Amino acid sequence: MNALVTEPAAALIGEPTTDPFIIEAVGLTKVYGAQRALSDVTLRVPPGTIGLLGPNGAGKSTFIKCLLNLETPTSGSAKVLGRDIRARNRASREKVGYSPEQDCHIAGMAGCEYVTYCGQLSGMPFQVARQRTHEILDLVGMGQERYRPVDTYSTGMRQRVKLAQALVHDPEVVFLDEPTNGLDPSGREHILNLIGALWSDLGISVIMSSHLLRDIERVCDRVIIIANGRVVEHSSIEALKNRHKRIVELNPASEPERFCSVLEQAGLTVSRLSNGKLRVESASDSIEWMLELMRSHNLPPAEIVANPDALHEMFIKSLAAGHGNHT
Amino acid sequence: MEIIRDLSRWRETPRGLFYRWWTIVITGLRQIAKTKLFRMLLFTAWTGGLAIAATGFLFSQSVSSGGWLESWATNFNVRFQAIVSAFTAFVLLFPEVCIGGFFTLIFWVHSMVGLLLSMVALTVLVPRLVTQDRATNALTVYLSRPLTSTDYLVGKLGIIVSVLALMWTGPLLAGWMLSMVFAPDRDFIVYSFKPLLHALLFNGIGLVSLALIALGVSAAGRTSRNTVMLWLGLWIVVGSIAKDREMPIWIRRASFSHNLSEIRQGVFKVETVFTDAVATLPLIDSKTVKSLTTAGRLTSATDFHGALWSLGALSALSLFVFLRKLRTE
Repeated sequence: MNALVTEPAAALIGEPTTDPFIIEAVGLTKVYGAQRALSDVTLRVPPGTIGLLGPNGAGKSTFIKCLLNLETPTSGSAKVLGRDIRARNRASREKVGYSPEQDCHIAGMAGCEYVTYCGQLSGMPFQVARQRTHEILDLVGMGQERYRPVDTYSTGMRQRVKLAQALVHDPEVVFLDEPTNGLDPSGREHILNLIGALWSDLGISVIMSSHLLRDIERVCDRVIIIANGRVVEHSSIEALKNRHKRIVELNPASEPERFCSVLEQAGLTVSRLSNGKLRVESASDSIEWMLELMRSHNLPPAEIVANPDALHEMFIKSLAAGHGNHT
Repeated sequence: MEIIRDLSRWRETPRGLFYRWWTIVITGLRQIAKTKLFRMLLFTAWTGGLAIAATGFLFSQSVSSGGWLESWATNFNVRFQAIVSAFTAFVLLFPEVCIGGFFTLIFWVHSMVGLLLSMVALTVLVPRLVTQDRATNALTVYLSRPLTSTDYLVGKLGIIVSVLALMWTGPLLAGWMLSMVFAPDRDFIVYSFKPLLHALLFNGIGLVSLALIALGVSAAGRTSRNTVMLWLGLWIVVGSIAKDREMPIWIRRASFSHNLSEIRQGVFKVETVFTDAVATLPLIDSKTVKSLTTAGRLTSATDFHGALWSLGALSALSLFVFLRKLRTE
């Protein structure tokens, strides 16, 4: 029987998982000598597209590696897809894909050979693995390069083949560590669209670690911020933005000076940005007051962006707070 | 994304552990089979197997009663016919000494050839085992899948054992079986079986110890060049130093090739072939007796148990190095 089932992906979306959380960590700690890379991390992550944010050395990669058993946690426990990572070591990774930050390939192997091999290592029969390899390589945007040895690939191509090996065995959750590093703008666009579609179209949860906040903001519906080995924030992006709805950026089509004076007369604090935009601190969560103000003073149209860089600011604030609230 | 909606899904139960081990082994073999040197070594090794078959066949056809040697001797004078008759009579009367001794010598020679070819093959293979996986972070690929470091070890050991089996065990067994297919009587099978078991025992010891040492060496190096240098250093340089009988025993035992050589002498006991011949066979003159006794003394093991323990310790050390280095970076 052919193990591959070609059916509308939408039919499989939201397939029932036995556990409501894809990750459950309790007191997860990893210590390297005197350094605590992860400190008592306790959190439960529901399925979806989750961004993992944090400065360099915050413990993002260590967290992922502990969940995959690539690093043995010093203490604490964790479950991935409801399977304990220690008690069910192999089984906990059966339906998990991982695309590490650094290059990883097998010397001398062509791209399609490599991805097929990875599929087989996950227990796929050769024919099935080969068929899915070609589908996935098409998906990540690889053409005839797939028949060339991976050693000869450009950084962007290596990034794509890494993503392909993480997806070949049709995982339920995939960990992506800096998946857009080294990609050109069009390649980045393609991969971000693909990552976004993994959950929305296929029901594959994504844990994406990145330092590019815009990538996370664009693709993810939840975010986990890690600093100094602690989880300092874990919430949906929507909730984070709502907490931050007090900044409005305006880009007037004309008469910026009049705009500025009207806003100041209204008692608002206005600052001019180097790109010509006006940044206004608002007391309200809504922008209705701004539209009303523009109407009453007959101001020219303007591009209004509520909560620009909300994630960035939340990120900075969370890091500054930095004590860690485990969710 | 439109394309993603047409993606096939895989919802079968993944295949078991043996399949994954097998995948590592067969893929590793395919990779090494791409090198020309390996294919040449394989050809040489199986030529050696054919040589065993041919030698065994010629021996059995020659010395058996009514064989072609007796028929051929009738073309010569009576004295020659008598010598040939005596020789075939020896085989009939003392099959253990004649047939067993002959096959012990064949297998002993083949063990040297097989071991040498295996060492050369390992020189090609060693950097591809763990060194390249560490250099290219491929370890992460293995260990982020439903595989443990033990599974990785088993897979890599499987590659080495398969290569050594192709270079050494396969030709040995095939050569013996081919020669026995055409043997004129059962005695050849019965009396060559014990030497075959000795050959297989040494082969097994070599297989296990070389596999572990090769893995340890492969795990120790970060670059292919360093790994090859380390392997050649341990094999040739340390081996050459250990050949000097004046060297302290611990230096000699530090060489795995010296230890294997000692174990080979101890397992095959080639000296007993000569001493048995001297003790059992009649009509042997004193000069021949002296030559056989000297040959026996030269081929006897002097430090069998020490070599066995040392080889075990080197293998354990290699395994330790392998497990220590088997961390994702």
